[in-house]
Amino acid sequence: MDNSLFIKVCIYSYINMVRKMAVRRGVSRNTMIIAVAVLVIIVLGTAMFLLRPGEKPPTEQPPTGPVYADTIIIGTTDRVSDLDPANAYDFFTWEVLTNIGEGPFVYEPGTIELKPGIIESYEIQEGGKVYILKLRQDVKFADGTPLTAEILKYSIDRVANIEGDPSWFVLDFVESTEVIDDYTLKITLFNPVSFYPAVLAVPTYFPVNPDAYPFDEITPDNTAGSVGHYKITTWVRDQQLVLEANENYYGDPPKTPRIIVKFYSDSTALRLALESGEIDIAWRTLDPTDIQSLQNREDINVIEAAGAYIRYIVFNTNIPPMDNPLVRQALAAAVDRGAIAETVFFGTVEPLYSLVPNGMWSHIDAFKDAYGDANLELARDLLRQAGYSEDNKLKVELWYTPAHYGTTEADVAALVKAAWEATGLVEVTVKSAEWSTYLEYTRKGQLMITLYGWYPDYLDPDNYLYPFLHTGSNRWLGNPYSDTEMDNWLDEAQVATDQATREALYQQVQQKLAEDAPIVPIFQGKLYIATNKNVKGVVLDQMMLLRYWLIYKELENVNPVNVSLMTNIFLVIATAQIFIATSVAKASVLKRRIN
Amino acid sequence: MVSIKAYIATRALLTIPMVLILLTFVFVIMRILPGNPVLALIGMKASEETIKSLMEQLGLNKPLWQQYFEYIYNLLRGDLGRSMIWGRRPVINEIMNRFPATIELTIGGFIVSILLGLLTGMIAGVKPYGKIDATMRIYSIFVYTLFIPLIGMIFQYVFGVYLRILPVGGRIDPTLLPRQITGLYTIDSLLTLNFPAFISAVRYLILPSFTLGLVLSGVYTRLVRSSLLEVLSQDFIRACKARGLPNRIILFRHSLKNALIPILTMMGLQFALLLAGAVLTETTFSWPGMGTFLMERIQYRDFTTVQGTIVFYALFVALISLLVDIIYAYIDPRIRY
Repeated sequence: MDNSLFIKVCIYSYINMVRKMAVRRGVSRNTMIIAVAVLVIIVLGTAMFLLRPGEKPPTEQPPTGPVYADTIIIGTTDRVSDLDPANAYDFFTWEVLTNIGEGPFVYEPGTIELKPGIIESYEIQEGGKVYILKLRQDVKFADGTPLTAEILKYSIDRVANIEGDPSWFVLDFVESTEVIDDYTLKITLFNPVSFYPAVLAVPTYFPVNPDAYPFDEITPDNTAGSVGHYKITTWVRDQQLVLEANENYYGDPPKTPRIIVKFYSDSTALRLALESGEIDIAWRTLDPTDIQSLQNREDINVIEAAGAYIRYIVFNTNIPPMDNPLVRQALAAAVDRGAIAETVFFGTVEPLYSLVPNGMWSHIDAFKDAYGDANLELARDLLRQAGYSEDNKLKVELWYTPAHYGTTEADVAALVKAAWEATGLVEVTVKSAEWSTYLEYTRKGQLMITLYGWYPDYLDPDNYLYPFLHTGSNRWLGNPYSDTEMDNWLDEAQVATDQATREALYQQVQQKLAEDAPIVPIFQGKLYIATNKNVKGVVLDQMMLLRYWLIYKELENVNPVNVSLMTNIFLVIATAQIFIATSVAKASVLKRRIN
Repeated sequence: MVSIKAYIATRALLTIPMVLILLTFVFVIMRILPGNPVLALIGMKASEETIKSLMEQLGLNKPLWQQYFEYIYNLLRGDLGRSMIWGRRPVINEIMNRFPATIELTIGGFIVSILLGLLTGMIAGVKPYGKIDATMRIYSIFVYTLFIPLIGMIFQYVFGVYLRILPVGGRIDPTLLPRQITGLYTIDSLLTLNFPAFISAVRYLILPSFTLGLVLSGVYTRLVRSSLLEVLSQDFIRACKARGLPNRIILFRHSLKNALIPILTMMGLQFALLLAGAVLTETTFSWPGMGTFLMERIQYRDFTTVQGTIVFYALFVALISLLVDIIYAYIDPRIRY
């Protein structure tokens, strides 16, 4: 419909109505003025809406070549804990730190290959006990201070001194640090550690400027940053974080000079923000249902990648009947991973048959080889061997925590229960406890069967096996699974420098894990990121950290988002308003007759 | 006749036991619940020794009564302590970072609820027992039953995703952040004459305050209606009519002013409800205020922060209701304390 005609019709009919009313009922001047004022407001509102500026007038577009946006807005439901490498120990804060800092080693984006970062070269001496790091000479902090070995030493010693949450990355490994010359640092370890370069890549080892980070104090809102691609320009906690290119960065400048991170309260809010165009990227964490519905939209890209995040069931082997290996094996055999992945997560996760995630070296499908998947026959056999029958069912308690692992957790527990009960020989009671409570009870060893998840600290099989299976290291699970042979293998693998030897050891460990079944892996998370379709350069890998400096957004010619449709909708609303206003005016006339 | 000063003093004194009782309640509840901040934050990966030493640092290894009295002692000196997680910032700073956002939303919701409530209540009260009156009464019940996250989401969808005329989450366009003076972005942007920021702040404020205000407006509708009816049936109104005053004057100058007195009391009471409703609204609209903050910190068992926030809330609500009482006395000369 022709809009201007429509508006004219509206105005005429409105004036006409008011005129008639005025004649018929003898409306006072004031009422007429109010009525006209309402009309003016509506007309002005409509005009403002119609004439509001578009995102970018097309005339500003240079005629040739694609144009890139200078700002990208990323939305997240995560929170920044402490903007201080000495105390940050969660994924999102690490992501921010990775974009504003850089450690001695970095991961090649898109792979899990390590390469030197702020170091030019390094040397390993004394059989892996000593690391000599030669720093690049062109590394500078955002304020221009050049990086020296002295500063790197200060940063590492500071972590040890503060003893914050991630301080074990230093305290457990490093015996001493020593400055050899301005650009050479010597790190001596307690014992040779085969995966130490991976430890040197965590943000805990990022250099910090001694002027901005005091030696013995955590600075949770420190925006001084480090030596990375970006620097922080605005930081309002839980509201927004603005990063701008660090012009002192030694490498290529980032593709997008400004990145804004906006914080949302939940997955739905995040999804709505993406759909409304308020943000360009929705990242960590969208619920499976939101991912699914975003996948159906044409203006949005959903990118998927393998994550290094794993979920598993823990059997407390100290609580009968879980002390019986036959029972554990039977339950391990009955778990239906496919059903959980498809029904609860709509395929947004993949089944996992070992604690070492798919795609990581040394991974074997140990549980699949040993039990298959949803193998009810085997489960029944094993349960009968253990002395259970239809009349004498195995009774177990399954615990989960409702919020920490997302809203899907109750469904996961329900499906685990269903799979076990499908054997006809098991009776499962499902119980839940809030995260903090859950941890405390687990640690005290009071929960029979629990559901847990693991985000790695560094990408090495060691991080997926040692904390779970080594005697004493798994106290956090209240699960003192202890086996001398297992301990020996894990210790050997930690110090062996030859990858083939380590791989063989880890495979042995995984086989034995499947055999003893104290922990049953269920699935491995995939990473999902939803972006506006013009956003390019998103690289996801098992590090699960987004590299902001690689992302860019192509600007198109202005897209008049169905302006004609929206104008009409708006006009309909405006008309409705006119009628409402009229009836209000009428009412005010009627008021004269109150008795 | 007791002076208003004495009244204020009594009220202020009564606030102290009230806050103490509330605080004790929260203190005990937080600690009866299993779990503690150390576990909640790094519980999975920390070693036994780390947990022990952190508990000691936070004073959580001391007997409960000792923790309690130390807390009260510090509180009386005006020290709310430090947060137990994430860098251990002073609780008062944390609250002050969040409080302006909540106040901005609460005031927005307050204005919307009063405007809607007055409008609907007047329409209903002027012509009672008719169709319009029935509609307004249904409206008041209907909006009262609305679930904030649901109605908020519908607004977000309609105005944010479909029409794209209003933002769905946050407080202001991140690029337009005004210089912080009061922390209320609408005020700050005006003070710094930053009009684009002001417009942006208002646009971000519309949906959340409308959601909150809509839900709470139903109470006013009924109250304004009944109060207006009562006033309209009084003799002086009849006298006004007899004198031939226009209805408009009778309604706005004589009836409404008198009808507003009980509504004022309600405003004071509603303010507490507004703060409570703000918790849900904040979550729905990712509004970085006290509500989202409190929810998050309860999950992490951040004892000191939760206690501090609640004490702060209690004092604030007490202050508001005291203010309302004072305004009450000012408006209605018959009231004497």
